[in-house]
Amino acid sequence: MSNVVSTATRPATSEMMRRLPEYLMIWVPLLLSAAHLISFSIWTIWISFTPSTLVPVSGWVGLRNYNSVLASRNWQIAFDNLLLFGIAFVLLSLITGLLLAILLDQRIRGENVLRTIFLYPLAVSFVVTGTVWSWLLNPGIGIEKLAHDLGWSTFHFDWLVNRDMAIWTIVIAAIWQSSGFAMALFLAGLRSVDADIIRAAQIDGAGPIRTYLRVILPTLWPITITVVVVQLQFAISAFDLVRALTNGGPGIATQLPALVVYDLMFQRSQLGRGAAAAVLMLLILLAVLLPYAAWRYVQRRQATHA
Amino acid sequence: MPITTTRRRLLAGSAAALALPAFARAQGAVKPRLTAISQWSAGSDGAAITALGKKFEEKGGVWQHSPVPGFTTEMMNKLRAQIIAGDPPACSQLKGPEIAAWSKIAPTVDLDAVVAAAGYEKVVAPDLAKLHKPGGKWIALPLQIYSTNMLFLSKRAMDKAKADKPPVTWADFNDLAEKMKAAGVTFPVANGGTRADDGQKFEASLAGISPTAYRAAAMNLDKKALEGPEMKAAFVQMRKITNWMDPNVGAQPYAINLKRFVDGDMGMLIMGGWAQGVLKNAGFKLDDFVVAPGPSDNGKPVFLLNADAFIFWQRKEPDLQAGQALMAQLVMDPAIQTMYSQITGSIPVRTDVDLSGEGWSDGQRLTAAALKNAVANNQAVLSLAHNMAQENGLTAAMIDVFTEYAKNKTIKPEEAVTRLAEAVEGSR
Repeated sequence: MSNVVSTATRPATSEMMRRLPEYLMIWVPLLLSAAHLISFSIWTIWISFTPSTLVPVSGWVGLRNYNSVLASRNWQIAFDNLLLFGIAFVLLSLITGLLLAILLDQRIRGENVLRTIFLYPLAVSFVVTGTVWSWLLNPGIGIEKLAHDLGWSTFHFDWLVNRDMAIWTIVIAAIWQSSGFAMALFLAGLRSVDADIIRAAQIDGAGPIRTYLRVILPTLWPITITVVVVQLQFAISAFDLVRALTNGGPGIATQLPALVVYDLMFQRSQLGRGAAAAVLMLLILLAVLLPYAAWRYVQRRQATHA
Repeated sequence: MPITTTRRRLLAGSAAALALPAFARAQGAVKPRLTAISQWSAGSDGAAITALGKKFEEKGGVWQHSPVPGFTTEMMNKLRAQIIAGDPPACSQLKGPEIAAWSKIAPTVDLDAVVAAAGYEKVVAPDLAKLHKPGGKWIALPLQIYSTNMLFLSKRAMDKAKADKPPVTWADFNDLAEKMKAAGVTFPVANGGTRADDGQKFEASLAGISPTAYRAAAMNLDKKALEGPEMKAAFVQMRKITNWMDPNVGAQPYAINLKRFVDGDMGMLIMGGWAQGVLKNAGFKLDDFVVAPGPSDNGKPVFLLNADAFIFWQRKEPDLQAGQALMAQLVMDPAIQTMYSQITGSIPVRTDVDLSGEGWSDGQRLTAAALKNAVANNQAVLSLAHNMAQENGLTAAMIDVFTEYAKNKTIKPEEAVTRLAEAVEGSR
């Protein structure tokens, strides 16, 4: 394969000149953003080892900031919440998205309209989602009050102000917002399944459910993994939604790592500890992205060999 | 005291100008200009600082105020950015122990000469003065004072409970709350759901139970006091208060409940004196509510001090230096403090301003009297919930405990005491 490439792009000055705009367009922004990202990451890592408080200062405190963040109740709650929120949100949005996609795939009328409706929440900012849901879920003015006003006085739905259930309100709002995204990807996947395979399954006597479970869904798993990874990194960095919906409350029951970072850096003026929390978040993110990158690498190798 | 410019103050002003050659030179040569940042953008706060700016312009200055709306910390983020960029404002809002903390990261203006010339130190409460001269020199000037533990009582809720006078001790308070509840006031305590709101419930409880314990625990972080019996008692009282609050407020500010409060659906509001300005601005009348000092078990008022202030950052430009001198004189001026407090509902920093005249409310007169009384009895302490007692990091760690305790009724008072002590230890 490499032979083919090298003969095709044998150096010729005019050829280089012709492709120059292309290189500029791709490499300059790429290098700039990479430099940006990497330099700030390194800077944050450095700050996390310094005694910085109000402003960045140099100095070395070893792991003190990390120990203090890891020992704080805020972080422990945030980490537990992240596990719960991450798993629940990814699984449920996957299931909702897949169901919506399968239902839309039934060649129904008005598919375009429905698809737009389901995808539309994605176009709304998380702050708006959070604010609207905070009104809907507020027992004093939202769904619970509506049910009471309609005469269903025993109806009880106070998750937003219930510290054990509040994290689920974030899951609900996040699913509402992003299951459309999963749906769009799955729908594209469903549409790209070879019609011949489906027909073959039908000829073999498989019913619609069996066809989906045994024939169509197995072809969707690369898409599933993409959706999981994209949603997971959203879950890990979730900030604006929570801030607008519960702001970490009631009390500190719905803290998430990004909130803790923001809180430490910009509310408590403890830059060093905030940076340490940010680095911890980066590590969690890497724990998701590295296996994904490895998987992609293996996939590509297999594809090349095949 | 008349609020016109007296000869004595004119003299003081010129003495200040003489004592500060740099300022004096600058003032003579250029038009004073002031770059200022604060969080005061809207409502009575915005109106007050705009009025201050007008006065500044009347004196021939150029007023360049950039408000940063939101919490104080948002203003601080802008201040931080400007300081790091080497371009601090000539003057910025900052208060409490933050003055000392921030003065370490950028040079500030030495105001000793102007303050001395105006004879200002004599008319400022000593605990308060200390906060504004961290290295022994005045670098910041307090502007107005609030008490964070004023008790506002809804007239209609009191009528329902057939109560005619405000409670004095916590026992009275608890009695009245029970009566209100029995008389059909849905929530005897009006509240918001913000962190500061929860913090105020605790500080009001502890300071009301024992100002001495408050001073030792909240201000001096004394380990023994932090685990003392008064702390547990304060958490017990706070639990009572939270049981009377509306749990459905989420993270919203107290102000959204003011209508329910005035209507008598909610009974008592433990809030800073600024609530009076907010109530007034919202169109409610002074006879819709009663103001009293927060409950105090020894019967003498306890004053939880919160004071807004301006800190002055060193600048080389002569016009900015002249602006700083002018601003300092204005902020110390009793007429300006009167104007400012009458807009916001606070009380003046100067203890020699007479509040008997028109334009002051009973609530403000009562607050000023309470401060005087509290200072005399050594019961004026610095507010924890409003960042007067500790720096932001420590305050936030402590409020974590209060806010969780307010929302999680399964945490026992003794557990809360332990958690608070741990939180203090962990963020020192």
